[in-house]
Amino acid sequence: MTDFAKYRATLTPELAIELRHDLRTPVNHIVGYAEMLLEDVPESENGRRSALQAVLGTAREVLDLINRSVGSGGTIDAATVETLYSALRVKQEAIVTSVEQLTASVGAWNGDAAVDDLGRILQAARRLAPAAPESSEASRAPVAAGAGPTCGSGAGVPAANARPARVLVVDDDEDNRAMLRRRLEREGYAVVCVGNGRDALETLGGGGFDLMLLDVLMPDLDGHEVLARVKSAVETRDIPVIMISALDDMPSIVRCIEQGAEDFLPKPFDPVLLRARISSSLAKKRLHDQELEYIRQVRRVIEAATSVEQGTYTSGALGDVGGRDDELGRLARAFDGMAAQVHSREERLRTQLRELKADIGIARTTSEMHAQLDGGALKPGDVFADRYEILEVIGKGGMGTVYRARDRELDDDIAIKMLLPDLVTNATLVERFKTEIRLARKISHRNVVRTHDFGEWLGVYYLTMERVEGITVRELIDSRGALHAPSALAIGTQLADSLAVAHERGVIHRDIKPQNLLLDDQGVLKVMDFGVSRLAERSSALTETGLIVGTPSYMPPEQLLAETVDGRSDLYAVGVVLYECVTGRLPFVASSVVSMIAKQLNETPTPPAEVAADVPPALSSLIIRLLAKRPEDRVQNAAELAVQLRQIA
Amino acid sequence: MVRILLVEDNEMNRDMLSRRLERRGYEVTMAVDGRQGVEMALVGKFDLVLMDMSLPEVDGWEATRQLRAAPATKAVPVIALTAHAMAGDRERAIEAGADDYDTKPIELPRLLGKMEALLKKKA
Repeated sequence: MTDFAKYRATLTPELAIELRHDLRTPVNHIVGYAEMLLEDVPESENGRRSALQAVLGTAREVLDLINRSVGSGGTIDAATVETLYSALRVKQEAIVTSVEQLTASVGAWNGDAAVDDLGRILQAARRLAPAAPESSEASRAPVAAGAGPTCGSGAGVPAANARPARVLVVDDDEDNRAMLRRRLEREGYAVVCVGNGRDALETLGGGGFDLMLLDVLMPDLDGHEVLARVKSAVETRDIPVIMISALDDMPSIVRCIEQGAEDFLPKPFDPVLLRARISSSLAKKRLHDQELEYIRQVRRVIEAATSVEQGTYTSGALGDVGGRDDELGRLARAFDGMAAQVHSREERLRTQLRELKADIGIARTTSEMHAQLDGGALKPGDVFADRYEILEVIGKGGMGTVYRARDRELDDDIAIKMLLPDLVTNATLVERFKTEIRLARKISHRNVVRTHDFGEWLGVYYLTMERVEGITVRELIDSRGALHAPSALAIGTQLADSLAVAHERGVIHRDIKPQNLLLDDQGVLKVMDFGVSRLAERSSALTETGLIVGTPSYMPPEQLLAETVDGRSDLYAVGVVLYECVTGRLPFVASSVVSMIAKQLNETPTPPAEVAADVPPALSSLIIRLLAKRPEDRVQNAAELAVQLRQIA
Repeated sequence: MVRILLVEDNEMNRDMLSRRLERRGYEVTMAVDGRQGVEMALVGKFDLVLMDMSLPEVDGWEATRQLRAAPATKAVPVIALTAHAMAGDRERAIEAGADDYDTKPIELPRLLGKMEALLKKKA
């Protein structure tokens, strides 16, 4: 017999396997014996065949239930085991009912051998689940009634699951009593015998009986009288009563049936008939009990519906009703699920509403911000990224607007450069750009504008950097025209120094031009935007000239052709800047981007000294060397350039 | 007549399976634990052994190993039977030397198919 007590608490994986084994073994027995019986039933006996097939079908469902509930190999909580038991009890009932029907009809079939095998099936079915908990009066009864015959070894086993059906035998004839007791006990029933009607009523009132066998003809209180009292008392009226009478006393049998007796047994007793009638009465009682339980559970579902209405329903409150394997169980589960859904939907709705409100707030700020950024129109006093207070616009370039701003966190003035959205649409590009910025941040030199941070706020990418007071070389040339050689050399040497450091760190500027060169009041040059031009790199492709940041005027042929770029490419740009400084004009003048590129690639520039007479010949020829089409024909590195510029000075 | 040794500790399983096999013309001898199973297999001449895996005394895996180790029984086909149907049971059984494997509940046609295949191979 399965020791269900072992499986009360949460099951370890090992115990779960044991439970699985304990439950599967009886199923194996049920299947095996049922199949064997089925082999013996002739094809023509449809009733019996289908009853056996029902048993087999149920057994397979049981197997499926077991595999689903305790099949995973992990721990299993007590609730899952209880749910499994409830489901198994339903199956157990189904099997017991089918087997009892078969037992009742077995006489004409295969006699004792078949009865023995059916008994084994019942025995196995009983090992599928422990009895329902004692606290539930209504659910206990059917199991007790369904227990039917138990094997001798079942005696003395604790827990209600082994309780055999209790039968009260009422007969004034001692021999009859003894004979019925012997027969019934052999079938596994618990039997109590009394010899008269008064004792019968008293004993029955004590409770716990599943069936009464009642003799009609007795002295004092006869069977009719006892039956009338049993059927009129609430406590006893549901106990089935089988009348014992002589076959020739038909009128009295009819009267008993009218009074509420379930059945009758004619004397002398036929063992097969006795067995069949008893099991069929018990089956009927079980059905009746099930009906009562069903009604009780329907009532609970109705109560639950009311409590949902009142908002007091707690999920899972229908518990065991949901464990039923029928329509009511489905209804309860669906109901419980729906109630839980309603609850969680309300909860979700509240959360969504909160989030929506927050989103609207953010969206409003974002769209205002975007409107401002698109127009490059952050106003003084605006706070960007919750950190930078905009002070003024410093400049607008191909990449976006540059503002002077107060970094509230560091309490310092910085420059912040907004990058146009088109520049940063591509994730790969952003990553490459970040790498470049990381490198650029490592350059610390008096001639390099420090890069602080690259960030994104509300979809806008921005770059913060050291704020330098001063004017750009662009502004200087635009306002003053050609510069004197010493000024150009001062710009050139400082520019070469900064590039020497940067190139040493592996950072190529790629976008040296007068706009990126700042001069402070002391004439100290600061190079801006190291690493930034990475973003504009794609614009060097000829097919995308429309996207070129600024003009290609400062780009060497290898950059325009998107070939390998190195430090010498920056030196070409230095050449263009110096050319512009000393002559006030670019080496190549063109009316369109395309023709500018064509000239950069093919034309030899006029030496600066021929454009402006006061340009020292050494500087002029150095500039021309920097403007060589092939990198290998230029000065080979920035440090060497710095040296040569200093020699001229 | 084909002689089968059924090693099974559960009485109902023994009763059921032996009766079903006998109906189909097999001669079935039964042992109730692994030790008895090995002893009987060594002395009796069996054509096939049906071996439950979870057995008292000596379990089915060990019993199978012992059968494989003994010259008298090493060629007798063994079908391992287990109720667990846990992953790895099959591998363990084959590793112990079983020729085939079946899970409970026994589906008789399936088991018979496996038995016949092994008996044919042996012949």
